[in-house]
Amino acid sequence: MTLRFRGRTLRLVRRGAGNAIAGAGDAVRSEVASQSIGLRRWFAALTVLALVGAGAAVLTVPPGAENFGTTPSFEWGMLIATYVFLVVTTSGLCLVSSLGMVFGIDRFKPVEMRHVVLALLFLLGGFGVIALDLHYPLRLIFGVVLSPSLSSPMWWMGTVYAGYLGILVFELLANMSPYPRLAHASCIVASSFAIVAPTTLGIVFSSLVSRPFWQGSITPIYLLITAVLSGASVLGITFTLVGWLRLPGHGPDAEGVVEGIRRLLIGVLAIVMAYTALRTFAALAFGSAAERSAVEALVRGPLGPQSWVFRVGLGLVAPLLLLTWPGGRRPFAVFVACCLTIVGVFVDRLQFVTAGQITPGAASGLVAVPYTTYSPSLIEIGIVVGACAVIPLVYTIAERFLDLSSPGGSGDVHGVRASGARAMLRRSLGGAR
Amino acid sequence: VGACKAENGVPEAPEFNRTWVERHSVGADGTVYVDSPDGGINGFPEHSTAAAAVGQQIVASAFVPRLCNQCENPPCVSVCPVQATYQTPEGIVLVDQARCTGCGYCVVACPYGARYLVPQGGKSPTGSFGVADKCTWCFHRISAGRDPACVEVCPVQARVFGDLADPNSPIQAIVKAPGVGLLHPELGTRPRVFYVGLDSEVG
Repeated sequence: MTLRFRGRTLRLVRRGAGNAIAGAGDAVRSEVASQSIGLRRWFAALTVLALVGAGAAVLTVPPGAENFGTTPSFEWGMLIATYVFLVVTTSGLCLVSSLGMVFGIDRFKPVEMRHVVLALLFLLGGFGVIALDLHYPLRLIFGVVLSPSLSSPMWWMGTVYAGYLGILVFELLANMSPYPRLAHASCIVASSFAIVAPTTLGIVFSSLVSRPFWQGSITPIYLLITAVLSGASVLGITFTLVGWLRLPGHGPDAEGVVEGIRRLLIGVLAIVMAYTALRTFAALAFGSAAERSAVEALVRGPLGPQSWVFRVGLGLVAPLLLLTWPGGRRPFAVFVACCLTIVGVFVDRLQFVTAGQITPGAASGLVAVPYTTYSPSLIEIGIVVGACAVIPLVYTIAERFLDLSSPGGSGDVHGVRASGARAMLRRSLGGAR
Repeated sequence: VGACKAENGVPEAPEFNRTWVERHSVGADGTVYVDSPDGGINGFPEHSTAAAAVGQQIVASAFVPRLCNQCENPPCVSVCPVQATYQTPEGIVLVDQARCTGCGYCVVACPYGARYLVPQGGKSPTGSFGVADKCTWCFHRISAGRDPACVEVCPVQARVFGDLADPNSPIQAIVKAPGVGLLHPELGTRPRVFYVGLDSEVG
């Protein structure tokens, strides 16, 4: 009896699970059938790159596996730089969004819904990358709670970013709800976290007496300013695509966002250029020997070509010229400038992390004079590529299933009038076409 | 270097060491060339192996043993987010490798380059991999009243170990003698490894 009863139960479970799988398969088939060829190619390319990242991630699982290019004298490499890039971009997205939601600048108001989805994805992407860089990520999660170290900037950073993740999830749900005041309040809190979080991240670097290039109060401020650069660029790319692909919300409002981002980028690019020039001059003229050596590596040393071409030339000068050029108001010009800026910010993060460790020294018996060297391994590059593919992949799915054009969940792209979350649920269950 | 590796199960690879020896060679124009082939475990060739020293005339050289400075104010302890690196009541800085997350923050924070993450595929002091490791001044030995392995095997007694808190320890006379220096005293870490006759260019 009991066995039969269990068998019946199991059959029921199996039948239930089978139905769900079959339903999901039908939903995927119907979704693919409704896509254009271009969108299918986009999904296919991103999926392949995401799988490359997943494969690379699997290889990092054994703790201590020697498949990164890092050494005792160069312990933080490309994954740390990518983590900084992704989580600081999260802040930039929230800061740009706050211009509309908190400061009431109409031009930026349409950003709200898309920014929160992007911010969440960038933050989760950053967490994923840092988890792969850590040898024991679970120990960190439990250790931060069970044996907190209040003297550690990394502890504060982890705690603040965990809170930031929570508030972003809340903000997303608030934006899907029919309560605009809740959405507004959550945006204000998220904007506060957007300032505090990169500041704590900056202190992780700037508090190290052993690393003069990172040390100093300017590092957190620099991360905050450049956060706006990468956040605005991501939104610029997203909203030009919204216009080109005629996604929900395209029209004058989206064009207004693109123009607002153009103006914002011009200002921030000019500030970052001035900062870069001043910092370089100050370090070379007045810096300690180690700091001077690191900056010399960026100016005329092993990091020089990469620095001048990608960080300064393509990442700062070219987008600024493009945006201030008479044709710079065109969406295509803004799109290209945003892409260049993003590349520049990523290279900047990479150089920030490497220049801090490149100064002459010896570690664990490795003597490197005048400069230590670091080359990322294919595994590290694969993880970064994977992370950079997963974010647009999931975001594109969100664009397909959720109405990101405005807060309040006015309806999904298929015309279902419901909150975005409910619409997605219905669709995945086969209730919507 | 060899005694330390054998005593503590330090990875065999030459780039992972709890202690190593550097040679600081001074050229005719005053330029200092630093080399440490394989951490000095196999000795040193006659001429500096530093790339920039090739073809240069060397007028003087000195050997500088390096290890964890067991700082009184250790940056590695304050930066650890999970208290895996800690100080014993006697002031020895140790790593609880069962708690270490392998984030590498302490490795980057150490101004003396004394730390590394244990790589897979070789020896490990505690059998854990991907965790931070460094010189403990042979804590297991000094707890039993013995000297650290590197001190015991040094044929010329270049390394001397003692208790700074003990006014009768022979170490007192050594650290109070003129010409005793510290590595990077300007950083405020208050290291407790003292060098007799330390040249100013060593850092």
